[in-house]
Amino acid sequence: MEPDANHRSRAMPDSAIPAADGALSAAARAMISIRGLDFHYGDHHALRGISLDFPARQVTGMIGPSGCGKSTLLRILNRMYDLYPGQRATGEVLLDGENIIAPGTDVNRLRSRVGMVFQKPTPFPMSIRDNIAFGIKLHERISRSEMDGRIEDALRRVALWTEVKDRLRAGAGALSGGQQQRLCIARTIATRPEVILLDEPTSALDPISTARIEELLDELKQDFTIAIVTHNLQQAARCADQVAFFFMGELVEVDRADRMFTTPRLKRTQDYITGRFG
Amino acid sequence: MSGAMAPAGGVERDQGRNRGRDRGLDRRRRLRDGLATLLCGLATVLVLLALFSILATLVWNGIGGLSVATLTRVTAPGGENGGLLNPIVGSVIQVALATLLGAPIGIAAGIFLAEYGAGSPFATAVRFISDMLLSAPSILVGLFVYLLLVAPVRHFSGYAGIVALAILVIPIVVRTTEDMLRLVPLSMREAAAALGAPRWKVVLLVCVRAAAGGMATGVLLAVARIAGETAPLLFTSLGNLNWSTRLGAPMASLPVTIYQYAGSAFDDWVQLAWTAALLITAGVLLLNMGARFALRRRGER
Ligand SMILES: Nc1ncnc2c1ncn2[C@@H]1O[C@H](COP(=O)(O)OP(=O)(O)O)[C@@H](O)[C@H]1O
Ligand SMILES: [Mg+2]
Repeated sequence: MEPDANHRSRAMPDSAIPAADGALSAAARAMISIRGLDFHYGDHHALRGISLDFPARQVTGMIGPSGCGKSTLLRILNRMYDLYPGQRATGEVLLDGENIIAPGTDVNRLRSRVGMVFQKPTPFPMSIRDNIAFGIKLHERISRSEMDGRIEDALRRVALWTEVKDRLRAGAGALSGGQQQRLCIARTIATRPEVILLDEPTSALDPISTARIEELLDELKQDFTIAIVTHNLQQAARCADQVAFFFMGELVEVDRADRMFTTPRLKRTQDYITGRFG
Repeated sequence: MSGAMAPAGGVERDQGRNRGRDRGLDRRRRLRDGLATLLCGLATVLVLLALFSILATLVWNGIGGLSVATLTRVTAPGGENGGLLNPIVGSVIQVALATLLGAPIGIAAGIFLAEYGAGSPFATAVRFISDMLLSAPSILVGLFVYLLLVAPVRHFSGYAGIVALAILVIPIVVRTTEDMLRLVPLSMREAAAALGAPRWKVVLLVCVRAAAGGMATGVLLAVARIAGETAPLLFTSLGNLNWSTRLGAPMASLPVTIYQYAGSAFDDWVQLAWTAALLITAGVLLLNMGARFALRRRGER
């Protein structure tokens, strides 16, 4: 066991990500900065002393064995844990310099800025069109024609438009699993968030749907900061610019994806990515 | 020796050794399975038989009295060619208005119990009272409304009948609404909240919509229940031999007419009672099928 301070310094971008280096240059502004974050489910201390930066317009992959706290961390970033009494976070999560886990935060506005896509597709029991309009209407009052434009735009971005343009008024439940997940991504980006959180978004999908969503991530990072939890290391290697490895509620190592998978610095990381445990 | 004691690796071999014994076990299991299936089948046939014989009797005896005259004439003294127009209209008015009154209250209470009342003492009390109402004898409800709305004004009225029926509607709708909302998966609530929807929008725009089919079924169940209720109407809307659609006056209804006619000495009244029973059954059946059809169409959309 290394001392806590060691973890924390490794998690800092200045130590983990050398400045002069390609994709993750120091110029990449941190969209979200986590500092000294702890999380409790009642008595259960699920996350300890996490410090991590999510560079703007890049994909941060979060890996680690099941139960290590990846979902927990993701659900802090949009304050999903607020729905449940007894769950609490302490520390700092800075979005544009503002600590979003502080009590005064407007949670619904935060969630319009930080969208989330879940493991299982969760279409609402309404038409394809209304699924997307739902999120937009929560935050904006726009004309019908503008709404149609926004819906088309969102569906095009997830490459779903040609498949559904003739049945926008049909129920979303009739779509395939992969289509439903792309609809959920479209629904999230339609509200124009700055950050998109994805919690194992492809683990319920077939390989072809998975590949399409991975391609999609590459395009989405032009405009959004992306945090993706995945148990699939190849997926993390393919999609992520930066990878963070978690273990038992702690952030063990964070680095550029290529380095993380070729030359991890810590033995524990190496053991995990070579399949020795987890 | 026994299979249960063998280590995991020996399972396959043990299965070979025990095949003879397994076959005996297998036969016994099959026998018991067959017996259970047979008993279930018999029970089903029995229920279906009872249901079918009721329906058949109803159609057999009721269809003879079904004519344009029956549907368009007002009730008349025995032997004078009366019809069922006022009971039909009275029943439709009372059942419809009672549903309009009771269903929204029941839906609101059901939403409260499922979405906001988790574990609060008030919600527990509401749920308890509602469940008690669900099993309360309907004649008590009639007496209650009699004391509340009839005795003080000294006359029976359609209003009182509507209120009595609405009180029967509420607990049924509360129960089904709460149950159906509890079936809406957490993931759907979280997905709506994650878009930035406030709690009430998550509930009203997503959860209620997801549960709408089941909730509608609950309302239909309530309609079917009150359409045949006699006891609560005896003390409230009483019945009316003349044509009247005034809610402030006594109002006729099919169940009360059946109650009055079925045991009478006039053959044409007995016939009308059968026809009235057939009309209630057919009405509820049609309503059910219509709603199912409408819901299915909506689901396909
Ligand atoms: N609602 C909850 N209540 C209590 N403990 C929880 C809850 N959700 C998760 N946990 C615990 O928190 C830890 C981290 O869980 P999670 O973040 O879901 O892990 P991961 O997504 O990395 O598999 C686990 O030990 C899990 O058992
Ligand atoms: Mg998880």
